[in-house]
Amino acid sequence: MKGRAVLVVSILFVVALVCGYLVAANVNLLPEVASTRGELMQRLFNYLLGAATVVFVLVEGLLAYSVLRFRRRPGDDGEGAAIHGNTGLEVFWTAIPALLVVVIAVYSFRTLSAGEAASERPMVVEVIGRQFAWEFRYPEQGLTSSDLHLPVGTPVRFEITSEDVIHSFWVPNFLAKRDATPGQVSEFDVTPSEVGVFPVRCAELCGPGHAAMVSQVIVESPEAFEAWIERMANLPSDPTEAGRLLFGRYGCTGCHVLADAGASGLVGPSLEGLGARAGETVPGLDAEAYLRQSILEPKAHIVPTFLENIMPADFASRIPPQELDLLVTYLAGR
Amino acid sequence: MTASTLETHSTPSIRRYFGWSTDHKVIGIQYLVTTFGFFLLGGALAILIRTELFNPGTDLFNGTEYNRLMTNHGSVMLFLWIIPVLAGLGNYLVPLMIGARDMAFPRMNALSFWLLFVAGIVMIGSFFVGAAESGWTAYVPLSIEAPSGQTLWAVSVILLGTSSMLGAINFLTTIVTMRTEGMAFMRLPLFVWSMIATSLLALLATPVLTVGLVLIALDRVVGTVFFSVAQGGDPILWQNLFWFYSHPAVYIMILPAMGIVSEVLPVFSRKPIFGYTMIAFSSIAISLLGITVWAHHMFTSGMDPRLRVPFMISSMIIAVPTGVKIFSWLATVWEGKLRFTTPMLFALGFISMFLIGGITGIFLASIPVDLHVHDSYFTVAHLHFVLFGGSVFAVYAGLYYWYPKITGRMYDERLGKGHFWLTFVGTNLTYLPMFLAGLLGMPRRVADYAPEFTLVNQLASVGALLLAVSTVPFLYNVVVSWATGPKAADNPWGAKTLEWQTTSPPPEHNFVELPVVTGMPYDFGEPLGVPAVAPAGAGD
Repeated sequence: MKGRAVLVVSILFVVALVCGYLVAANVNLLPEVASTRGELMQRLFNYLLGAATVVFVLVEGLLAYSVLRFRRRPGDDGEGAAIHGNTGLEVFWTAIPALLVVVIAVYSFRTLSAGEAASERPMVVEVIGRQFAWEFRYPEQGLTSSDLHLPVGTPVRFEITSEDVIHSFWVPNFLAKRDATPGQVSEFDVTPSEVGVFPVRCAELCGPGHAAMVSQVIVESPEAFEAWIERMANLPSDPTEAGRLLFGRYGCTGCHVLADAGASGLVGPSLEGLGARAGETVPGLDAEAYLRQSILEPKAHIVPTFLENIMPADFASRIPPQELDLLVTYLAGR
Repeated sequence: MTASTLETHSTPSIRRYFGWSTDHKVIGIQYLVTTFGFFLLGGALAILIRTELFNPGTDLFNGTEYNRLMTNHGSVMLFLWIIPVLAGLGNYLVPLMIGARDMAFPRMNALSFWLLFVAGIVMIGSFFVGAAESGWTAYVPLSIEAPSGQTLWAVSVILLGTSSMLGAINFLTTIVTMRTEGMAFMRLPLFVWSMIATSLLALLATPVLTVGLVLIALDRVVGTVFFSVAQGGDPILWQNLFWFYSHPAVYIMILPAMGIVSEVLPVFSRKPIFGYTMIAFSSIAISLLGITVWAHHMFTSGMDPRLRVPFMISSMIIAVPTGVKIFSWLATVWEGKLRFTTPMLFALGFISMFLIGGITGIFLASIPVDLHVHDSYFTVAHLHFVLFGGSVFAVYAGLYYWYPKITGRMYDERLGKGHFWLTFVGTNLTYLPMFLAGLLGMPRRVADYAPEFTLVNQLASVGALLLAVSTVPFLYNVVVSWATGPKAADNPWGAKTLEWQTTSPPPEHNFVELPVVTGMPYDFGEPLGVPAVAPAGAGD
């Protein structure tokens, strides 16, 4: 009887090892990896997946074998064997998993240390979370954007915070995230390793527009990044183009619908066809005055059924006057 | 127990289930029926969620409505279903299993139930004044700004915490002081051991959550600034208070479930449980380790990087006592003569799916992996494999196993097996695709998602529908069998624990004559062990 148990477990163990190896070597469940720390994490993940497969196949295999082999035969109303335990076996299956988790913990710690080793002179990008848009500030370049542009191969240090509730800055293709917490700046180093356009998502529930709090990270060649900096330094001369750009830069796209600016947020009222009705919404205010007031004092006039406390009330301190003019003109023309 | 309390025999009437009763068996049934009602409510909310998520875009509900559904789905399922249904089973079973006539504090026991009942009314009431919408985790500052339903939510959870603490005191006192003659600690059924471990944890951890909820309520109602960043408050403080309870709460939700599995497997394998002592101590080990792991929920919060490592290590170590249980169960089944009754199927299903929840827990404990999958659908899949594949499967196993004892009737095996297979397939179909969604980048708690996640979400929604359908044969079986099922014998499964050594259903004070224990609760197998109970009258 004991001999059969050893045989079955041995065969299952070999099968489990083969499955574990095949899964670790061939199965990829992660998105395209676009950062150096992500590459380290991917290796750790695949090893873990292999180890998990070994345990899974072994346990489910034993369970399935038992269900098939030890089912009561018809007419047999007898008892099983009166085995109460086996100290050696119990020590064994306590010690082996303990050893396994020590190995996993050490490997995880080493991956963590390597992935989070401080880069030398990283480029700083401040990440600010707001309901429901991301803002990226480049203090060295003196500009602000709603899209995240990064030069490939350059270490970046994100300094992450929030101006309202807790958000979480997640770039799935970097295989890492960090919370944006009000009153605190969290640092988070990444070196992008692949050129491409990848999503930025909010991973911490932050209110009704949580799902729409998305942006994109554009990883590009250093030359393309420099060119983008140049373009960003000066607003386009065409006022419509400039207004459209500002509409995205100040995060309006996160909450409002406006096809012209590619915005489909659902938290705030739609701004489609706004120019035609802005002048008639509030008696005594022409379109331009109404739009200006609605941006600077969002609570002054709430469109029925929409939330009162959700639109940021600090645009007066964030938008320079000439940019506000461009934005109002742009909206009045929609 | 004095003779005078034994004289209160009267014809049991169904009316006693609708009012104040101090009989632990009546209270147990009140718990089971009420919490199952909450389970159906939580399930209905889940179906609304899965309907919204069948396609990308916000088709049915806007963001606010979605957040309310999601928040209350989680709160109802955890606080009003899993935690109290297990307390309900404990209520019914612990006095019977240790050979006592009731719980130590019968009136406090009734109070525990009625607190749950009121808390449920308050939480459902909050739906009508703008329900809570900041997740069951209620992270500040979002939960401070939420509409007034959030205050009712906090009040409800404070009441539930109080109910839980009273229950824990009651269980511990009962188990320590009211065991019958011969019921040594090392002869306690493993379900009772799991209730000791659970109650210790509830006593240590629940007050911390309650304090945190009081602070939230004060910030919201009185205008204090415990969590206000602008006035020097700290939002991370809430996360510490919350998880100090809410991670141990997972063990409060799984330890009694493991206890149920340890009862069911030996009976239907006709073998002693393998490694009784190690299983009993592993429950205590999980309980003690369980209070040292909470900050693994905060690896992405920007906490001191050095502090993360000890929490990773303690979280991973929990896999060791958990593994001990799984291997001991496998060894219990090994070379048994397995009878695939419905409770046995659910217990085996528990092992196969809890395993997935356990293994993926190692991924989440590993900090570099967690930084990617935290707050993604990977986490959603993991927690549902633990709480649905785990706890709910064990609850079903327990409900079928003790059904003849509780009702005095047999349930229908064919309906039971149909229920099992629907639930088993539905669970895997619902939650397996969620692992992939999370790994590929889908955040949790979203009303809308990128089109690339459509297929996995549709599979999950179909699975959820299957799970909804699966409750139909169960409810039909429970109700119809109770009314017209064949009469159950006192010990239809040939089990050795004390609840089976009295009538089905047990008399008002459980035993006509208190049993005297002479052996272990799982002395099955050839050659037959000593009988677990002395013949009636031997104790005199």
